[in-house]
Amino acid sequence: MADVTPSVSGAAVRRRRTARLGPNLVLAAAAVFFLAPLLAMARFALQNVPVIFLGRSTLFKNYSFEAFAKAFHAPQFQGTLVLTLKLAAATVLCTLALLVPTALYVHLRLPKARGLVEFLTVLPYVVPPIAMVAGVAAFFRPNARWFLNSNYALVPFYVVLALPFTYRAIDAGIRSIDVRTLVDASRSLGAGWFTTMFRALIPNLMTSIVSSSFLTATVVMGEFTIAATLSKATFPVFTFQYQTSSARGGVALALLALVGTTMLLGMLTLLTRRGPRRRAVARF
Amino acid sequence: MTASLSSVNGDRTNGAVPVPASKRKWNWAWLGLVPFLAFLFLFLLLPAYGVIRKAFIGADQQFTWTGMSDAITKEDLAFRQSIKLSLMTALLGAVLGTMLAYAAATAQRPRWLRSLVTSFSGVAANMGGVVLAFAFLTLLGTQGVGTKILKTFGWDLYEGSFRLSSFAGWVTVYLYFQIPLMVLVTLPAIDGLKTSWREASSNVGGTSWTYWRRVGLPVLAPSMLGGFMLLFANSFSAYATAYALNTGAPLVPIRISNYLQGDVSGRSPMPFALAAWMILIMAVAMGGYLLLRRRAERWRT
Amino acid sequence: MKRTNRTRTALALLTAGSLTFAACGDDSSGDSATTVKPAVTTVAAATTVAATTTVAAGALDALTAACTAEKKVNLIALPDTWANYKGILQAFRDKYPGVENPVANPDASSQEELDAVVNLKGQADMPDSIDVSPPKAQIAVDEGLWEPYTPTLAAQIPDGLKDPAGNWIAAYYGIVAIGTNTTIVPNAPKTWADLKKPEYKGKVGLNGDPRKSGSGLAGVMAASLANGGSADDILPGIQFFADLKKSGNFIPVDVTPATVVSGETPIAIDWSYNFPSLVDELTKAGLSVEVNFPSDGIYGGYYSQGVVKGSPHQNCAKLWVEHILSDEGALGYLAGGAMPARYAELVKAGKVTDDAKKNLPADDLIAQIKFLTPTQIANAAKALEDNWGPMVADA
Repeated sequence: MADVTPSVSGAAVRRRRTARLGPNLVLAAAAVFFLAPLLAMARFALQNVPVIFLGRSTLFKNYSFEAFAKAFHAPQFQGTLVLTLKLAAATVLCTLALLVPTALYVHLRLPKARGLVEFLTVLPYVVPPIAMVAGVAAFFRPNARWFLNSNYALVPFYVVLALPFTYRAIDAGIRSIDVRTLVDASRSLGAGWFTTMFRALIPNLMTSIVSSSFLTATVVMGEFTIAATLSKATFPVFTFQYQTSSARGGVALALLALVGTTMLLGMLTLLTRRGPRRRAVARF
Repeated sequence: MTASLSSVNGDRTNGAVPVPASKRKWNWAWLGLVPFLAFLFLFLLLPAYGVIRKAFIGADQQFTWTGMSDAITKEDLAFRQSIKLSLMTALLGAVLGTMLAYAAATAQRPRWLRSLVTSFSGVAANMGGVVLAFAFLTLLGTQGVGTKILKTFGWDLYEGSFRLSSFAGWVTVYLYFQIPLMVLVTLPAIDGLKTSWREASSNVGGTSWTYWRRVGLPVLAPSMLGGFMLLFANSFSAYATAYALNTGAPLVPIRISNYLQGDVSGRSPMPFALAAWMILIMAVAMGGYLLLRRRAERWRT
Repeated sequence: MKRTNRTRTALALLTAGSLTFAACGDDSSGDSATTVKPAVTTVAAATTVAATTTVAAGALDALTAACTAEKKVNLIALPDTWANYKGILQAFRDKYPGVENPVANPDASSQEELDAVVNLKGQADMPDSIDVSPPKAQIAVDEGLWEPYTPTLAAQIPDGLKDPAGNWIAAYYGIVAIGTNTTIVPNAPKTWADLKKPEYKGKVGLNGDPRKSGSGLAGVMAASLANGGSADDILPGIQFFADLKKSGNFIPVDVTPATVVSGETPIAIDWSYNFPSLVDELTKAGLSVEVNFPSDGIYGGYYSQGVVKGSPHQNCAKLWVEHILSDEGALGYLAGGAMPARYAELVKAGKVTDDAKKNLPADDLIAQIKFLTPTQIANAAKALEDNWGPMVADA
């Protein structure tokens, strides 16, 4: 068997270093570009020193969480946050209830339809949120006004918005497990369809179900376009409006939303890495 | 017809009966898709239909092209700006994104670097417009920390015509989510560049440049082109970011919302014509992206 | 798999799918006000008749009782720092404990208020009362968004400050001024001509897009008066801002309390009554502000308030209108630096102390105010619609 010895010659190491110079510069520049706005946002929210007074002497003064505290006490903070969380939960439930059976069905019963379904799940990209809300105004306002009266009218549109990501995640999960064998095994042991679904299939699809749930939640918690145009009081809309009366408060809320989203996606990455097979999530 | 052939071969229909499938059985199977299809019909197709219909209906309730032509002529500035912006951010995003993806994919030393870049790209690509706009306002706004720092180094950012809500400003801010999106799209393709190809190339006497010109770039080309189209579509349809920077910006998505909200009666076809044009442009761009992605996937086993 | 099993699979999935689809598509919120409505309409019918037929003290009490049952009045677009709305809102809560008055979207423009009324029609958080600029008030009349209501004190309001058909009243008015954050801009501009100076490059902001916001329109109108325009001709004002934009002085950033405090709009063209409340916040941050009334162009304007048709809390909406016209409301506006509609009556009754007047502009400036007629307002709005975009916003 060939013995693969790593190259240790000085020339080789130098060559490797210079070869990596370009990419390393790119990485460094990217780090600066992507971190700077976040740091600026954090400083603005946490430090009560106007930029005009910012200097070496005042750099570390006046840091506090007062902007956050003030934002939490704003009259609409709680209501809008709760509404957005409820919308996220409802969207996740509707998405899963709609997509998991459909994806399983296509996989088990109707493989011919897979191409069509995949095409349909990319269709939401063609009707971006701003065009969709124009469509909502065009179709639902004159014909089904009662539907738009509820805040939960946003849910089906959010489901559509998240469709490309969520279907992909669930489909990838289904393709990675041997659904047919599971179903056959479960059925041959005498289980009915619901038992098969909830005790054999879904536990094995947990990773992709959870990842699509997290993805949906992040989409809903950051969705501004449809909610703002329909005057629904969701958390992103409130953040935008609050910023006009209290700049630091608004930025504090945005920072919170960012941290929350990052945590969600961080948990998502951890989850998808822990499984026995590495799942590629949310391929566009 | 075709049904009987495939069922005779018995491959993809999970052990289907080897008799010609009757028409009724196939209809029955498609019924299972009804919930999904109905949902999409109600909440995606009907709004899209509403837009297109209202775009072509004039004040006299008759079919007319004037809505669509008015949209192009009256808002030609918005279209030009949107297209220019999308092309610019797609181009820059594609190039810089590929460079970043390559740097991350080939990084050996900090082993967590690649997953860090991937995770961060996932967050940044989806970053809601409001959050991103606020972040850049605090960095590069007139009272931004970055602006102040640059001023101490002698570069007055606002001396010229730069504003966060000018073309240069939009490009800067949009790149924040365009580059990560490109990274996410291109990383799998770069992974597909097998090291054996690199070795083979140098074995037959090729330099790094030859490798890239003859092997690397041609293989990556469909992915990069597809990514470009995706980025174009993404930028053209972006609303929240631009709106948070300037609620009256001359961009097509902002114009749509300006008309939608400024018209209490909902009778003007303008917002709907603009939206119809947008859907058309998005269809072309996304169609291009999908076709190119299919080509790119050929290289990934 | 047996054929029967496949059928059963299909059936099960189909049922599951349709059930969930039905659940997804029909999620009306449980917050609808249907249970409250019947009670409200019967009470409202009784009290509305009483309030509009006689100007009786008893009517106000009946309204108060009906409103206490409703418990809430949905307001919109009333910033704390705008003409001391913070104080006026608090005075309402003090006078009528148990009635909430939440303000949605404080920095909304008048156009956005009308959008909210249309968008939220039938919802529990539909605005009950709005406070909009004259052109938007007219649009609201045309679209039938007002619920006509004649307040008990209507007789004391000058004719120019109320709608003849009873759709709205104007509880306050003010003058356009130029406020400057003097920490950032030490040499504050004092006239419209001053604004053109190169030292103010990138510093001048207007409160709102004039096509959507009344304060924006007022700013352009005042600039027009200073540059050869008149109440009938707003074009010189649009040209003024076009020039300002070309020289880079005018920035397309909406002036809000936040932008004045942060220094993003160091020079703000806004109603004079928007600055007094900001002074506290600015001094706390260590900044100073100077408010100037440009002598070359004085423009005064009012805002229209009224009850929204079909809103969930009709009685409280009427009570709110009563409140802003009452003595407490009027003194609240005064403290904020705005002229209450019943100023003359209040002076006659000796209720206006010198201290209360400290935020008001000088008397001779107030004497120069001439309100635009509805035709002039409509013409100005149309001129802005047609020209502001091409000449200023998109230039």
